[in-house]
This record gives sequence, structure tokens and C-alpha cells, in this order.
Amino acid sequence: MIKKIDISKALKLNGVVAVLTYNDIPGLNGFGIAIQDQPVLCYDKVRYIGDAVALVACETKELLDKAIDLIEVEYEPLPVVEDPLKALEKDSPKVHENGNIHLHTKIDKGDIEKGFKEADLIIENEYRTGRQEHAYLETESGFAFYDEDEDLLTIFCGGQYPFRDQIQIARVLAIDPRKIRIIDEPMGGGFGGKDEITTQIHLALLAYHTKRLVKMEIERDESIVFSWKKHPMILRYKTGVKKDGTLTSNEIYIYADTGAYASLGGPIVNLAVEHSCGPYRVPNTHIEGFCIYTNNGVSGAFRGFGVNQVTFAMESQMDEIAEKLNMDPVLLRRKNILKKGDETGIGSKIETSIGLKKILDEIEKHPLYKDREKNKIDSSEYKKYGVGIAISYQGTGLGVGLPDYGACWIEMRRDGGFNVYSGSVEIGQQMKTTLKLIALEALKISDEDKVFIITGDTSITPDCGTTTASGATYRSRRAIEIASKKMIDILKKEVNEIFNIPTDEIKIEDGIFKNLNDEKITTYEDLAEILYDKRRLPKTEGHFNFPTSKTKIPGAFGLPHYIFSFSGAIALVEVNILTGKTNLIKAVNLIDGGRVINKIGFEGQSEGGIVMGMGYALMEDVIIKNGEFLVKNFSTYLIPTSMDSPYQIETIPIESFEELGPYGSKGIGETTMVPIAPAITNAIFNATGKRIKQTPATPERVFFALHKLPEK
Amino acid sequence: MKKIKIDFILNGVKITDEVPANITLSEYLRDYLKLTGTKEGCSKGECGACTVIIDDKIFDSCLILIPEVDGKDITTIEGISKDDLTPLQNSLIEEGAFQCGFCASGMVMSLTNLLSKNEKPSLEEIRESISGNLCRCTGYKKIIDAVIKLTKAII
Repeated sequence: MIKKIDISKALKLNGVVAVLTYNDIPGLNGFGIAIQDQPVLCYDKVRYIGDAVALVACETKELLDKAIDLIEVEYEPLPVVEDPLKALEKDSPKVHENGNIHLHTKIDKGDIEKGFKEADLIIENEYRTGRQEHAYLETESGFAFYDEDEDLLTIFCGGQYPFRDQIQIARVLAIDPRKIRIIDEPMGGGFGGKDEITTQIHLALLAYHTKRLVKMEIERDESIVFSWKKHPMILRYKTGVKKDGTLTSNEIYIYADTGAYASLGGPIVNLAVEHSCGPYRVPNTHIEGFCIYTNNGVSGAFRGFGVNQVTFAMESQMDEIAEKLNMDPVLLRRKNILKKGDETGIGSKIETSIGLKKILDEIEKHPLYKDREKNKIDSSEYKKYGVGIAISYQGTGLGVGLPDYGACWIEMRRDGGFNVYSGSVEIGQQMKTTLKLIALEALKISDEDKVFIITGDTSITPDCGTTTASGATYRSRRAIEIASKKMIDILKKEVNEIFNIPTDEIKIEDGIFKNLNDEKITTYEDLAEILYDKRRLPKTEGHFNFPTSKTKIPGAFGLPHYIFSFSGAIALVEVNILTGKTNLIKAVNLIDGGRVINKIGFEGQSEGGIVMGMGYALMEDVIIKNGEFLVKNFSTYLIPTSMDSPYQIETIPIESFEELGPYGSKGIGETTMVPIAPAITNAIFNATGKRIKQTPATPERVFFALHKLPEK
Repeated sequence: MKKIKIDFILNGVKITDEVPANITLSEYLRDYLKLTGTKEGCSKGECGACTVIIDDKIFDSCLILIPEVDGKDITTIEGISKDDLTPLQNSLIEEGAFQCGFCASGMVMSLTNLLSKNEKPSLEEIRESISGNLCRCTGYKKIIDAVIKLTKAII
């Protein structure tokens, strides 16, 4: 509880340009993608250690530390809400006035009691997952300036959706969003962590107040404390299965720690609920998801968006079922995988392409899996080897009822090339390369220098939705495809007018117009010159609404998704029995993202997904005690280095053709990571006979699973 | 802050300057010389994004206080070649070794230093040479592959 904020001493310091508090916010003192429950500058309460109370601008970095020290804030300590389960209790202290439950989703399908009665085996477990940090190499930073003559506020800052950032800033400053320009490229990694506001509003406030160029850099140990994390979840699973391996029922409770503010915690919990039964047919389900406020930092969007956690739980359940039924893990999955027209765990029909059968075929014949017993020959008394598998699926796009669209403008240049404007953002996923490849193909041209991709600037590009949910490339690509088709039609019409050849007798091959006899009519270059003289170089627009399901799931906003990507993983691990340390030796990623457009980018996403998934499985957890971060930098929060990561990584594309996708493709950014962690923990079981139910499977956790300490 | 005089060689050019004694080499490169190819990801010597070569060894430039550079020979990403990209850089591009690119200059410096001493490094030597350079986008594999491809080409 804030009793008093005194900035007077700081203001007197020579070289201090501005000190702002909540009093200096002209508009809404709040932000957040879903609900604006996070104060830009706190006024009554500080709900987590990364909350901002005052903003300081100084002439030098050195002065900044001094000025901050001179700000006096008087607090009255409040009880810390730490355990999400205790936070649910009636007498728990409240993080927000309305209580600690941000969202509670409940879904019933079939008859859960009947399902358990039909089951020959019931497996019941509680799983816990770690709090993963995005660890993008570039911390949140940017600069801003206000042009008084133009009345325009310009902010340069890495972000994932410039148009939404623009709105969030406009609300806080109470100015017209058109007076704000956001340029959010390039950026050094996102992974979901820069989807929410980072420094944009603070930069805007300072630039607006000081009328000067303002620069802001978040240092690593601040970045880890203030920024969004992958939700730690407690997952209670009770799964019923018949002797022949057919799943009958799943009773699931998901408790997600969203920290002090909502951000995207609600949609993340709903996505976890949607994917909680895995890509399997489960006729009877009862699924509840809770998104719970605590004082543990903040959680938000992160590659996988709630699916990592439930996949870890469900794939551990499947592995245990296979073991108890003495059944091959692939065969067990084969019996239950979703086929076109089947219902998912939440009862929505899946009507788009499914690559699961092919994924299981590939796993079965892969030497790493097929010869898994041979892989253990090297096992010694102290080193055990094991192979594990997992499969998963991931909804692409935002889901039903949410604005989800792509837009693109294309203009022909005087040199016969094209400028392609897209609102999606290059966040380090090679999107610009992919968009260029798409545009080259759609515009029927091969010279890379002829297509120029322009993204990430609210003043010059169309709004193209958010660069998240594995759907950005998909959205933009569809829009490019549509705009390109229009462009081609216009160009053919122009050729028809100028050269008097019927449009249906004109074809285009690599920027050359030809007639039916394969004779050259003209080229893009020559045509562009003619059109330029006539002052009618064409411009086209492409707009595309992301396909969504026709039906909605009652009580679960945004569900279901319509298009899904699928993936599978095989992992070979080495467990050191003496230390509990697990090494990932080999990993195979099998990905159904539809047709592969940018092979290098596809492999890059897969390999990065494997290593990030390995970090999630074995190493990474931001530990918070009593609201304090015990882990703040890369010497305490370890992410995989080149020495930890396996060199033996293989990516196998499973190309199921998605009719709705551009050139038959789907999104892959997230699904590449999701099955890795359970494949690794299942491999640890295969190696040691011990199941790790809490990620990360640190040496300590594995050691204590293997050895009991003598009782005192 | 008291200013000190420093004399050193940067990318083959002799530099004489007077700078505050408490800044780091990475700050000097980025903020004073505007050589922003060197990135800073942690300011604590943990991520390797700011790697530079000093007298044939690699260092995290965020950990080098500016007085320490006096008399040294320093190479940054801007100085590893005069005009075109180096064969190593081209190989990294061809392999698609980087995605967001923030770790790239540090990686290039570590690998350049490795290759200057060892024309045909083993897989383990390559892995070790970049063990101080964190990358979050790729799985390191394509970076390693780029070196393997290049060094095979040397034979």
C-alpha cells in the first residue's frame, strides 16, 4: 500500500529533466491487452516488485540512479499472496478488489461418471510447471520524441502489434491515436514477451511531457523482474482408459498463476483448457481452468500460450497409461488421435487438416524410436539412457469472436518492382524473408531485389493484427496473395489495352508477359515505364479474415480454434544417476505446419523450439519467494548454451495440405516447442523408471526421484 | 567523472581520446563512437552479445573498463573486413544461422577468433568457442553447421 510519494528532492537535483507520477497521467492510468488492470504508474497499491511508481528522465545515466534514490515512497506492507491454491480460499488476502480469480472456465462434455465407470484403468496425477522467462537477447528498450509543429509523437520500440500499442498509448495520454506513430522494428527476439506493452507508454509519457528525445533501456535484471513469464500451472489430471487403450474420460483442473495483473492470462487459460486433452478423442470430459492473481511477478503471452503446460501433463498421462497397460506408446496414441470430423476435448469438431497419423508413422519408423532398446546399450550403472515421445497440437490464430485479420498493400514501382506493405512485424522469426518468398511467388517474379517488404510502422503500413498465435505469417501471406492476384489482374488488363491481346491469352513467367505461343509481349519493367508515363502505376489491397469456427464454446471466450498445427517429438536423454543431471543427446521434431515455404526459417523455428523446450524441461524456472525474485540474470537463470544443446537435432516436415492456408501452409512458431518437454521427461522415465511430474526436471528433482534420503 | 586519456588501436586505426574513466568499452563503442554493431544484452558478461577481440583473445566488452584498453589492439564487428562480408559471415547467412540477429555480432567475433587460430576446428571446439554467446532463437546448430561447411571448403 502506497502511503506517500515524495519526488521533491529528486526534482531539485541538477540534471533531472522530469519526474512523473500517477498525477501526471492525462488519461487512463492503466494498460493491458485484455483488461487495463495494470497501472502505468501505481497510485494506491504496488502489486508486484516490478510495478512502476515514478518515471525519471535525466541528462545522464549516472544521474538517474541518484535521482531514483532521492524519490521517497512510504509503503505500508500488505500480506503477500504467493500460493495460487491458497489465493482461491475465501479468507485469502486479495490482490485485486474483485478477488483473486481473474477467470474461471468450466467445460463438460459427455458424462464424466459414465466415462470413469467404463474405464478399466484410472490414472490420477498432479503436475506442476515452471515459470519460464522469454530471455530474448535484446531487453526492452526504445526512444521517443514529440514533434510540436506536427503534433506527432513518435515511438521506436520493439513490439509485436504496433497498432494496439498505439491505442494503449492514446488511452493513457488521452490523445488521438493518429497523433502517435509507432515504429517497432527491428527487435531482438519476442516469443510473446513483447506482445504486451513494455516501455512504449513510459517513453510516450516522458517524450510528451519533456518535449525532448527520450531514451529508455531496461537492464537485464530489471527485465527479468518486470516482464511477463510463462504461466506456472498446477494441473490435476484423472484419466480413464479401457484395457485396449481407448480413452474414456478426463477430469482436469488447471490452476494458473497469472501474477499481479491479467495481461493475456484469461485467453491463455482458455487455450490450456481447449488443448488439455491433447490431440485425442476423449468422449467424456470435465475441465476447469482457473486464472489466479498472486503477487508473483506477472505472467503473460509466451510461445505455446498455455499449451506447453497441459501437453506436459497429458503426454505424461499417456506415457503412464502405455506403461501400465504394457502397450507401445505409439500404438496407444494411434488408437486415440483426432481424425477429421472428431470432437476435441472441449467438444468442438475439428474440420481442417490433421497430420497426426503421418507424425506417428514417422515416429514409428525413425531409428531413434524403432531401435530405442539398442540406444540403451551404452547404459552403465551410473548413466542411464532413455527414449521418450510426445505429440501435440496448437490452435493457430486468436480464436472465435476475436478480431483476427490480415491486410496488405502492394504498389508497382517505376522500375517494375513492387513495394509490399504489411502490418505484421519481424520479431526475429524471419517473417520478412518468408513474406518476400510469398510475394515473389504470388507476383510471378524471381528477382529478390524487385520485391521490397515494408513492415512495422503504423504510419505507412496497414493494420495487420497482432504478430502472435503462430498466425502472423499466415495472416499476412493470405493478404499478400489476395493483393497480388488483384495486381496481376490489373497488369494483364493494361497489357490487353496497350497490346490488344485478350487477357486470357496472356501469361506471366518471371516478370515477362507472354502470349499463348510463348512469345514475349512485354516485361514488368517496360510496362511499369509506360504506366508511369500515364501516371497510373497500380496499387492494390488485400484483406483477409482469419478463418474461425462457426460454433462457439459456451462460457469460454475465444474457443474453439479452427486451424491446428500438429507436432511430435522424440528425445534421447542421458541421466546421470549420481548427480541427477539429464542431458538431451538427440532430438527429432516432426512438424505438420502444412506446406513448408521457407525451409531455412522452418528449420530455424524448429531447432530454436527444441532448445527452448529443452530449457523448459530441464533448466528454466524463475523462482519467486515472498514476492522477491531469487533469479534475476543469466548467471542464475540459466538458458541452454551451445554446450547444453544437442547438436544432433533433426526436423522432419509433415506436410498435410491445408486448403485454407496460403499455398497450403499453417503456422508453426509455437508448436515446434510444445512436445519437447514431455518427450524429455518421458525419456527420463524410460531411462530410470521414475516419472518427473514437475518441470523443470532439475538435477535436484531427478536426484530425489531416484534416491531417498535416509530418514532422520 | 574524471576524464582519462586513452591510446589504442581500433579496427586497425589508432585512436586517441579523452573519456570518463568509469565507462565500459561497450558503452564507449556504442555511445561515443556510434559503433552499434556491438550489442549489449546483459551488461554483466553473461550473454556474450558484446564480444570483441582484444589482442587475439575474445572479451565481453561490457566488462572492460575503458582505462584497460590503453595500448591494446581491438577489433569489433565493424572491423573484421574492409568491404565485403567475410567468408564466415557469408556462410552464416547461407545457413540461416540467425533469426533475430541480436547475438550475431558476438557470435561472429567468437568464431572469427576461433578460425584465426584454428583453420579446421572440431565440432567440440566450435561448440566451445561460442559457449559464452547465448542465442535464444536458433538451436545453435545452424551456427555450428555454417562453420563446418566453411572449414570443409578450406581443405
